[in-house]
Order: sequence, then C-alpha cells, then structure tokens
Amino acid sequence: MANYFARHQRRVMAQSSGEKTLYRWTRDFHLYLGLFVSPFVIAFAVSVFFLNHAKVDTSASTTVETFHDLTIPAGLESARGREAVDRARDIVSQVGVTGEIGFVRYVPNAQRVILPVSKPGVETVVEVDVSKRAAVVSRRQTAILESIAYLHKSPGPHNADLRGNWFWTRVWRWLTDATVYLVLFVSATGLYLWFAMKAERRIGLALLGAGAVTFFGFLYGLAF
Amino acid sequence: MVSPSNRSRRLGLVLETWNRKLHYYLGLYFLLFLWLFSFTGLLLNHPRWALSRIPNEPNPPYERTIDPPIGDSDLVRAEDVMRQLGLTGEVECPPQRPGRFDFNIAIPRRAVQVRVDLAQRRATVQEIERSVWSALRISHTFSGSRYNNPTSSRDWLLTSLWVFAMDALAIGLLVMVLGSYYMWYRLKPRRTFGWIVLFAGFITCGLFVFVLGWR
Repeated sequence: MANYFARHQRRVMAQSSGEKTLYRWTRDFHLYLGLFVSPFVIAFAVSVFFLNHAKVDTSASTTVETFHDLTIPAGLESARGREAVDRARDIVSQVGVTGEIGFVRYVPNAQRVILPVSKPGVETVVEVDVSKRAAVVSRRQTAILESIAYLHKSPGPHNADLRGNWFWTRVWRWLTDATVYLVLFVSATGLYLWFAMKAERRIGLALLGAGAVTFFGFLYGLAF
Repeated sequence: MVSPSNRSRRLGLVLETWNRKLHYYLGLYFLLFLWLFSFTGLLLNHPRWALSRIPNEPNPPYERTIDPPIGDSDLVRAEDVMRQLGLTGEVECPPQRPGRFDFNIAIPRRAVQVRVDLAQRRATVQEIERSVWSALRISHTFSGSRYNNPTSSRDWLLTSLWVFAMDALAIGLLVMVLGSYYMWYRLKPRRTFGWIVLFAGFITCGLFVFVLGWR
C-alpha cells in the first residue's frame, strides 16, 4: 500500500495543477459512484446465471384463494390497452394484489378476464368471472434469484403501452436507467484513470485490443 | 533471513497489487461487452425509442423440394431440414400437426419460419431480416433458453459461445466489484463516505429485491 501511495504521489506531482484536480475528482467520482451502483451491478450480474441456465416450473401455485361479491368496473370487457389495465387495477386492488399487470385478456365465451400480476417475489394470476362477480387468485412465491431475474427483465420491451402501470415498476425503470448511465460513467472514468498510469498502458492496450477482437468476432457472428 | 511477518506482509502487497491490476485488466478486456449490454439495456428499457424498434417485414417466401426429414426427435429432424436448406441457428419446434413439420430458427440478425409439407416434400421458408441495431438488441437476451420454459434448450454452437461470453462478463463484473470493495476499504480517508454511498446503494437495491415482495 505504501508503494501504491508513493507511485500515486509521484504521478500527481508530475502533473500540472489542473490535471491534478481533474485526476483527483475523477478518481473520487469513480470510487463513490462505483460504490453506489455496485449492488445493482451485483444484482444484474448474478441474475445472468439464472436467466441463462435455470429452469423453473411456473405452473405450480403456492396458494389459491377465491373472492366473491366483487365490484366489476363498467366496460372492463370492451376496454383496450392502458384503459383496460386501469380498470383491471380496481379488481386487483379488491383482491389485495399489488404489482405490475402484465396484460388484460378477456375470454368472451367464458365471460372471464385473466390478469397476470408480477412483482419481485410473487407471480399472481387473477382470473375474474365477470358474470358471477368472483375471482380466483393463484399466487406463486418465487425464490430470491428468480426475483432478481424478474427485476433484471423489468419493465422489458413487450406491451410498451401497458408497462409501468405499477408505481414501483416506474421507479425501477428510472433506477435501471441510472445504473446504465452510472456504469457508462464509471467505465469512462476508469479508462481515464488507467490511461494516466503510463507503466500500464502497453498491457492495457493489449487487453483492450484482445477484448475488441473477441467482441467484434461475436458481433460478426451474431449481427452481420 | 526473511521473518514470517515480513513474508506475510510481502504476500499482502503482492495480492493487493494484483487485485488492483485485475480490476482494470478485466475492465479493459470486457469494456466493449459492458458498453454493448449497457446500451442494449437502455433500448430494452425504452421500447418506444426509434432505435429500439425491431422491423418485422418478412422477405418473400421461397419453396424448396426436400427429402423427408430423418431423426428420432423434432430437433434432429429440424437439423436435417436445415442442412438441406443451408440454414443455421437456434431451433424452436412448436407442437406438430399431422402431415406437417413446422419449426422456427432464430439468430439475432434473422428470424426464419420453415413450414414442411411432408406429403409434398416441400419446404416453405419465410425469412425476416433484422437491422444491425435490432440484432444488437436481440443479442442482449439471446440465450437459446428460457427459465420458465422447461422444454427450451440451446442447440446452436454460437448460442453456447455467446452464453459463455455473457457468463464470463458477469463473473468479471463480480470480481471487479468485490476487488473494488477491498481497494476502497484500504483507503482509510475515504472509508466513511464510502460506507454511506455503499449503504445507500444496498438499501435502494434491497428495497426492490427483498421488501416489495412482502407488501
């Protein structure tokens, strides 16, 4: 550690005062913003293994409950898109379920409305019998890794008009955006901090080049 | 004669130096991969952005006469048809109808539907070409396997290699993060504020991972 500080001191002394200030601020931002974003990076990295390799039986519910005498919002059967989700939210609240509503599917023959609702830790399907004003709520508790994988994929690119119909999904979208911007900032400042160490430039450039060759090899195979 | 305390101190210095080196060596090697997943993560998060849209305009279909597919599973039969048609990629076989053998092939730059009339020995092929941006976005989620679909599995070499690259990036990031905790903790003047921001990060992330499911 003493060697590190001595080298660092020599490096800083060799710079002009503007460079010193820039270096110190960059190093501190790299450190503190990196520390803040690190739990999110851990969550995204750990869930990669689950998303790539796990298999889960999603058909097994842990609890099934039936609710009666529900107030069915007018026009639920005919509503489409975000309007349907807003009306479905009324029913979901009546049966004590919270989370992001995946979609609203009306089955005319059976006069039923199917509402999958998700949040970290719980996957729920609310099946509403419109004519009987009743609903069957099937819940599946998910393990911690599946919860993190759910967050990794949330809000996701599908049903763009409906996504973010739960407050916490909107907050999570904002946080994942912030994670990306912080990771980009931390990696860019990391590049600057590495480049400031002259002794490490050659091997660093070799690794950067090796990474670029691997990356463009994959890119050629997958995207061209 | 080197004393045991000097030896352990020297070992500590070596480990510390290599931990720091590993931090930026891994960062430099994986830089472009990290930027790819960051950028495509943004695209997945914002499906309304123009760059996020995936064109779904199919090319005109074409037909080929083929030999009846041979094999003891749908996957092997599909690979036999693909060999005859000169196609490669990740195979997905839906439930089959009598007299038909239909399957889909996915690679990030192209989606292909193959519809085989077994009696006529005719294969109809419909291709959807993707742009490079779309292919990049698709590659973010291209693993050939879905955790909530027990029947899905990887069957294309390039998919397996890509999954290996994704796993390697994840391991690299974990090593970098854990190594960075050690480097930060050794900097005594930066410990207190470091604890504050690290705690803030864990609380914010933990709220979503652990708390929301209980509400």
